[in-house]
Amino acid sequence: MKFFGTNTLNGHKIERLKNIPIFHQLTRNELLEVDELLHERTYEQGEVIFEKGEIGQGIYIILSGKVRVNPCPELPATAVLELATGDMIGEFSLFEETPRLATLVAAERTQMVALFQTEFSSLLTTNKNIGVKVLTEITRVLGRKARQLLIHEKHIPSI
Amino acid sequence: MRSFPQPGAATLVAVILTTCLLLFLFQKAVWLVMPALIALMLYYCTRPAVKFLVFRGMSHEAAVYLVWFLLQLLSAVIVIKTIWFMLARSGTWENSFDNYILAGQNLINKTTAMLERMIPVLKSFGLSSQVNQQVHQITDNPQRRNLLPLTVVILKWVPCVLLVPYMTYFMLKDSGRLKKFIILSVPNAFFEKSLLLFSRLDVSLQNYFQGLLWLTFLDTICLAGGLKVLGIPNALWLGLISAVLAWIPYVGSIAACAMVVLVASADFPQTVRIAYACLILFLIVRVLDDFLFLPLTIGRKLHVHPVLSLLMLFLGGTVAGATGLVLALPLFGVVAVIGEAIAQIVTDDRLIARYRLAKQLAHEASRRSSTAHLTWHQP
Repeated sequence: MKFFGTNTLNGHKIERLKNIPIFHQLTRNELLEVDELLHERTYEQGEVIFEKGEIGQGIYIILSGKVRVNPCPELPATAVLELATGDMIGEFSLFEETPRLATLVAAERTQMVALFQTEFSSLLTTNKNIGVKVLTEITRVLGRKARQLLIHEKHIPSI
Repeated sequence: MRSFPQPGAATLVAVILTTCLLLFLFQKAVWLVMPALIALMLYYCTRPAVKFLVFRGMSHEAAVYLVWFLLQLLSAVIVIKTIWFMLARSGTWENSFDNYILAGQNLINKTTAMLERMIPVLKSFGLSSQVNQQVHQITDNPQRRNLLPLTVVILKWVPCVLLVPYMTYFMLKDSGRLKKFIILSVPNAFFEKSLLLFSRLDVSLQNYFQGLLWLTFLDTICLAGGLKVLGIPNALWLGLISAVLAWIPYVGSIAACAMVVLVASADFPQTVRIAYACLILFLIVRVLDDFLFLPLTIGRKLHVHPVLSLLMLFLGGTVAGATGLVLALPLFGVVAVIGEAIAQIVTDDRLIARYRLAKQLAHEASRRSSTAHLTWHQP
């Protein structure tokens, strides 16, 4: 018997986690282990998810719904201001406690999962198989974002 | 690691009152609190082993089963060994008890006589006769010499001790789920702060319990080594019991010292110096504890001011007796961390505003949904 109601993790939920880019490579059992570390949150339309300047403690991944990024001078002009299902927010806060760059507000009723920094660190140190897979995917996402930034820069520092 | 913080004045008062209230409640359910505390300690001490096994490729459940099985095996060996030791000596218990009492009386007599010789003023006060009278009043009480109540107390605690392995098992297996379950009830506005609080508490408790175990190990080695050098029999057991008794701040060390001095004076009735040497050994280990072992093991431990820790011990002792003495400081440390986090949340206007907004939005959403539902069902 399992406690605290998490035994009800069904195929639908696993499928939903599997659709998240950073968990793409994980097997069913690995997804079950990761699910123990994820915190599911639901935000109503207009609810603030986090505010600019707050110290980020982890990443959020959108499971359903839409999130609006409040524009601010620090963000590049080409920045995407609306995020949707599967998008990941605040990757850098997994590696260091940095202030959030912008305020995020739920544009509609939104379901998200959060992965906290210390839990991610514990995942890397205890389950290396899952850790390596997740870390590889996060690096891939960050690399893609860095590349997009470099393309829009006038002076490319290196090629 | 973030250590236990020094809260503000209002928070401090609230923390002290909450600690006292919890100690009072804990005392009422001491049969449950003590096994839970031991299980918590075992959980934090065996968790690294589970993590190591998971790191080596084992599944979490299998790692928990293996560590729990090894823990059970170790406990069974200790219990069987203790029962065997007690049964072997059960016939001579009453006699041994009398011997220790007599040896204690003898030691006190010799010490007071020596003090009177060294400081003649004490003789005029009648120190020796007064102390003897007090000691006889205590030791001549037939109820105190009867070991039956002690056996009853031990038997009463057996079911509680049996709870420990099960609690440890479920803590190892389901602590992550329990954390998720608790966090689920926290409103979105306070979610990140609460997670941070959990993480701090977890690290602080882990450091505290692991440090305490290392401290017990070092104390056992020093005391057992010293007692062995002095020629005291069963030095390792006496060292271990004394180190465990030292978990009760101040009082535990004094009780352990008294126990070893009694044993020494009973085993060497003609040589009072051995008993004095044991006393000096305990003082040396106490100094080593304070200046070397504590910083090495528990590190910055509980950052509680000495006056405050004494106050908490007095309050703990008054409110919950021996249980209060054991639990006062760790509980105060935990309540202080939670108290500070709650104070930070309550005084953060932005978080409170976000919470109110979220509540209002949820209310509106539910009203919209019920209106839509009614409209749909209207003919």
